[in-house]
Amino acid sequence: MSKPQQRNLSPDELARFGAEIDALRARTVADLGARDARYIRNVVKAVRFINIGGRAALMAGAFLPGMWLVGMWILGVAMLSVAKILENMELGHNVMHGQFDWMGDPHLQGKTYEWDIVGTSDNWRKTHNFRHHTYTNVHGMDDDVGYGVLRLFPEQSWSPARLFQPLYAIIFALLFQWGVAVQDLRIGRYFLGRISAKDLAKQAAPTGRKIRRQLIKDYLIFPLLAGPGFWTVFAGNFVANGIRNIWTYTVIFCGHFTADVETFPKSIVKNETRAHWYLRQIRGSSNLSGGFLLNVMTGNLSHQIEHHLFPDVPANRYAEMAPHVRDICARYGIHYNTGSMTRQFSQVIWRILRHSLPSRPAQLEPSLAKQ
Amino acid sequence: MSASAQLVATASPLQRLIAPLVSPPLFDFWAGLINPAWSWARPLARVVARRVEAQDAVTLVLRPNRHCGKVEPGRHINVSAEVNGRRTTRSYSITNVPGKNGLIEITVKRMEGGKLSTHLCRDLKVGEVLELGPAFGEMTMPERPSGKWLFLAAGSGITPLISLTRQLAKRNMPVDLKLVYWAKTRAELCFIPELRQLAARHPGFQLQTVLTHEAEVLADEARGLIHQAQLTELVPDLAERQVFACGPGGFVETARTLAQDTARSFMAEGFTPAAPIQADAGAETTVRVQLRQSGRTLEVPSGASLLVALEQQGLNPAYGCRMGVCHTCVCTKHRGSTQDILTGETHTEPGTQVRLCVSRATSDIELEL
Repeated sequence: MSKPQQRNLSPDELARFGAEIDALRARTVADLGARDARYIRNVVKAVRFINIGGRAALMAGAFLPGMWLVGMWILGVAMLSVAKILENMELGHNVMHGQFDWMGDPHLQGKTYEWDIVGTSDNWRKTHNFRHHTYTNVHGMDDDVGYGVLRLFPEQSWSPARLFQPLYAIIFALLFQWGVAVQDLRIGRYFLGRISAKDLAKQAAPTGRKIRRQLIKDYLIFPLLAGPGFWTVFAGNFVANGIRNIWTYTVIFCGHFTADVETFPKSIVKNETRAHWYLRQIRGSSNLSGGFLLNVMTGNLSHQIEHHLFPDVPANRYAEMAPHVRDICARYGIHYNTGSMTRQFSQVIWRILRHSLPSRPAQLEPSLAKQ
Repeated sequence: MSASAQLVATASPLQRLIAPLVSPPLFDFWAGLINPAWSWARPLARVVARRVEAQDAVTLVLRPNRHCGKVEPGRHINVSAEVNGRRTTRSYSITNVPGKNGLIEITVKRMEGGKLSTHLCRDLKVGEVLELGPAFGEMTMPERPSGKWLFLAAGSGITPLISLTRQLAKRNMPVDLKLVYWAKTRAELCFIPELRQLAARHPGFQLQTVLTHEAEVLADEARGLIHQAQLTELVPDLAERQVFACGPGGFVETARTLAQDTARSFMAEGFTPAAPIQADAGAETTVRVQLRQSGRTLEVPSGASLLVALEQQGLNPAYGCRMGVCHTCVCTKHRGSTQDILTGETHTEPGTQVRLCVSRATSDIELEL
């Protein structure tokens, strides 16, 4: 729909393209082993140590005078933010995809892992692993297209309230973890009279418990441990959670809302073959170019395309799969959407601004028409 | 019992106090840095000594943590270790008689191409940690052992029988015991000096070794695979004896045919290979699917994906994409082999996760459903 720009593959080409992607997956999965186990355990180690370091710095800072307090506080907030980002993205997100299920480690199982964020892992597995990854960028099926908050594509309906969306976008970024937490509750149903308050409260109970646990941890227990430094630690935790929110929001928006990303009508998923599905994943995703540090800090969502092709392959493999995917795309004339974070995020901002005003989809043939 | 109920049941008062603040993975991480065998709830054991027992056979002395259950001689436990990043589980008999110090021993024979046995025999170092499962097996010591007994051991079948022999010796050999022990070569025989000593000390205990692949046998050794004439010659009083046989499946079956009707009683434990029963992907048969949580057993066609097969039986397992992407239908497979429909790969490892929507059963299997 939006921005169709690529030629259609013939059925034969499509089949060969799908087979090449399958083969890349097969040879990567066959090579999984001790190296990947070591990698994810190192991530666990980094999360734990940076987390405790940040919390210690915040507490120590509370007892230091003047500028020392400020310095330690900034250090503590920075470390805690990094720990939370790493835990949410490189550890939680990836483990919950089942990327490390093959290890059989009870603490790294996709089905049971619980992450350090107010949203429950169970809701996430449903909205993200299933809905977003199966129906990527399909209007009306993938709730992640604007998250029900933003209008980013001309196919979404416009109303005057959209004029204020640049403002919502900022609020949404600051509160991103809360957005994720309530996404699956679809609170809108209550206002439309489709669900009673009682039923909604019942469905929200696990989320409520998770929220309570997170709030008690960050805003009661750790501040209390600091004694007189209660508010120093409280504020530090608050800011660290906020930094994590903004960062994850930025990375995730760069993954699907850049200028050249395509979205699709519902009809696309009818009788979709695996090769079609692969093609849709590539056309609906965009990468961030950068090095190891960017990969780690984005949970390897800098390789959004590879992640969408292989959501359950360990993310530490994406960087080495990427050149092959890129080469396959080049040979089949498929656009491989990648760019620096600045470039990709400015395109996202443009979309937020542009589609706050009325816009109309280009009248062209759907790019992924069935052959 | 569900995993969480089990956690509550075994939690100490201190654990219950800090449970709201510390998650088990968090506890295991920090505790594991101090002592790798410390855990919130996982039954772990540290390897405290390693002894070469025979050619390609190693005895590991293990110190279990407090989450490990008690093991009696003659029973076996599931032992898990990580091999090339993958948790790998096999069952091993304990070979000692656990005493006050709680140490347990397993003797591992390295199998050609065996993932865990090779790891345990060659790569595992003292100080490393293994995960243990609960003990199982029927071959345990009766309350008052009496009469005349016969142990028939072949290869690693010696392992449950050595622990029972040691237990009998500790009780001053209350039965008349004959141990006939088959091995391929002399170098593969385990525990021989000790068994000879026991035979010398206890008049009621006799040892007979039998070698199947040795060019020359010595005066006190017999020769050849188990057969009628050999058994009659080695154990003329078979009719008076209670028999316990242990070894590879084929050995145990032969022993059963030869001894079951003659002996006073016959009890056996055979080792079945972990390999898939049905290698041919094209052939479609019916397999038995056992569901652990609901306690049901179903017969389903092996050709269909497990998700479809279970749905056809009226079950509603959780699912999402139905194409192997979202992992919503993932479920623990306790035993049996499955094949990945997309890649054709076969998975035989017990206790692993399977995606029901893209897996089909290639043997009878048991699922956590």
